[in-house]
Amino acid sequence: MAKKAFITGITGQDGSYLAELLLCKGYEVHGIVRRASTFHTTRLDHIKFGADDKKERLFLYYGDMTDSSNLNRVLEKVQPDEIYNLAAQSHVQISFEVPEYSAEVDGIGVLRLLDAIRETKLKTRFYQASSSELFGKVAEKIQSERTPFYPRSPYAAAKLFGYWIVVNYREAYNLFACNGILFNHESPRRGENFVTRKVTSGIAQIMAGKTDHISMGNMDAQRDWGFAPEYVEVMWKMLQAEGPADYVVGTGCKHSVKEFIESAFAYVGLDWHKHVRQDARFLRPTEVDELRADPSKVARELGWKPNVGFEELVMIMVDADMRALGLKPVGKGDKFLKEAFPSRWWGID
Amino acid sequence: MMKRVLITGIGGQDGAYLSQLLLEKGYEVFGLDMDINAQTCWRLHYLDIYDKVNLIRADMADSKALLDAVKKSSPDEIYNLAAHSSPGSSFRLPVECGEITGLGFIRLLEAAREASPQAKIFQASTRDLFGAGDGSAYNEDRPYKPSNPYAAAKLYAHWMARIYRNSYGMFICNGIMFNHESPLRGIEFVTRKISDAVARISLGKESRLALGNIDAKIDWGYAPEYMQAAWQMLQQDAPDDYVIATGQVHSVKEFTRRAFQVAGLTWSDYIESDAGLLRPSDVVIQKGDFAKARARLSWKPQVEFNRLVEIMVEEDLRRWKRHLSGERFPWDVNEK
Repeated sequence: MAKKAFITGITGQDGSYLAELLLCKGYEVHGIVRRASTFHTTRLDHIKFGADDKKERLFLYYGDMTDSSNLNRVLEKVQPDEIYNLAAQSHVQISFEVPEYSAEVDGIGVLRLLDAIRETKLKTRFYQASSSELFGKVAEKIQSERTPFYPRSPYAAAKLFGYWIVVNYREAYNLFACNGILFNHESPRRGENFVTRKVTSGIAQIMAGKTDHISMGNMDAQRDWGFAPEYVEVMWKMLQAEGPADYVVGTGCKHSVKEFIESAFAYVGLDWHKHVRQDARFLRPTEVDELRADPSKVARELGWKPNVGFEELVMIMVDADMRALGLKPVGKGDKFLKEAFPSRWWGID
Repeated sequence: MMKRVLITGIGGQDGAYLSQLLLEKGYEVFGLDMDINAQTCWRLHYLDIYDKVNLIRADMADSKALLDAVKKSSPDEIYNLAAHSSPGSSFRLPVECGEITGLGFIRLLEAAREASPQAKIFQASTRDLFGAGDGSAYNEDRPYKPSNPYAAAKLYAHWMARIYRNSYGMFICNGIMFNHESPLRGIEFVTRKISDAVARISLGKESRLALGNIDAKIDWGYAPEYMQAAWQMLQQDAPDDYVIATGQVHSVKEFTRRAFQVAGLTWSDYIESDAGLLRPSDVVIQKGDFAKARARLSWKPQVEFNRLVEIMVEEDLRRWKRHLSGERFPWDVNEK
């Protein structure tokens, strides 16, 4: 019988890739979608309207992380073997505007799900999308599973609550529950209000003559950036392991926002100085300066190693955004993808 | 001009003592609680201050009610003492605990940021942030490892206090309070459960006392002194976080032995252990290091362990005697 997975946040970047990965592995995939006036499942459309049998194994329900009885009901009905909790108000800066909502979804939401598991007596494995933002004002230059946390935003504080709840439930109830402390992971499916995508979609807009500049906040922040499809593979791996554990997942390299901008503009042959403006409105009240993962545990225990480096990521994203606007991509990103992932499981972006 | 204060959780042990302290200092006291009737506010009656404080009924889950309370009280100082304060019950009602103990504080912070951004804020943090202790003394710099949903919610609030302090320049202090007890401690807490049981056994109303993990070693202080420390934090030039503790640990067994001794009884004649009272992940040994509070606030605990147990047992004996002689007054124990 097909294994069943339940994904919250299935319409997001990670959720849509993970759904594809699991469908390729033969899973039945169930996910919840928030009710909104427009049906925002664009990232899943290529599955829903695809030609193969995957669409028969994809099931979407209305649901919300703030609604316990809804979560109970859906879990009771689906009886999943694996649960991936990817739903979040995932934008750090916006969390300063909506701190209570961020905590309801990113923090208490985890608790509602875990409690629903306990209440419905499900035998299931649980993945929690934790975040490198937990490290915040970093206590160590390179962050591992042993680095103390220091959250600096309402988003990070709420995610930290979720992290500890997962640890509590694992220890108190022997639940197979894992925290994936994922460092930044990007893709052409990243939301346009995230810095990387803002840059690459901005470049495509500039190339298409729709605008002549982009406005950026803090460009000195340094992040460890990876490629999202590789990160959802590790989520799945965590739940196939012998026992539950927490893992730091990242590339081990860091680059500044400015470097991302430089590389992306250089890739299309533009001088970034002419097209980038600094705008104080995009500065956060408190900023996390430097994040860089020590991924040695995940490499050792789960055999995970990323193939996509910083330069490749930039090219993949710029190519996709140019294509989306009907421009001819530069093509190096597309070529790299074809070579690095000959049996690629995710749909074209 | 008279200073104004808003206290959440005013009906609790700490809320009552803090109200008393601030009334003595001439503050106008506004207090929130979910329920503000005479029975649930028995502690305010006990201290004879029920009519001297302005009570506002509001739930920490209700952002609008909190905003109204901040506007109405227009406080110079805010003390957030409201919480689901029992770690054991937080495994039974985790969502509710997270809502009140964790998110309640962010709702209050947002209300303060909107209506009284200059107010100085005290957040009741807790030694539970550190999880099971290793016997060494814990100061403000130790890493956190919350081991139950209550502690995780308190840690969330603790970080939000720091994030708001750094992001918005608000004056917010975390008081990392180790256990603090008194005759106003809730009956569900082990110290009060013991002092009440000893009083009843001593008066022939009861014959046994069931206890969970009696080997747990805990740093126990006297609650009124801890509220003094909370007030002092808000009188400093700059906001900061402080551990408040005695630096001494005693086991539940020692507490029990001493409590029976105060009543002239031998503890071992009355004890049975009850595995059902063990929490799923229990905190074992934990000691606080209050060096920073001593240096910066000149605060140090005065009431030591033996005296604390004595205060609690004597008061419960007095209450039971009054009750058995037919006197009726609000308190939290009902004759079974």
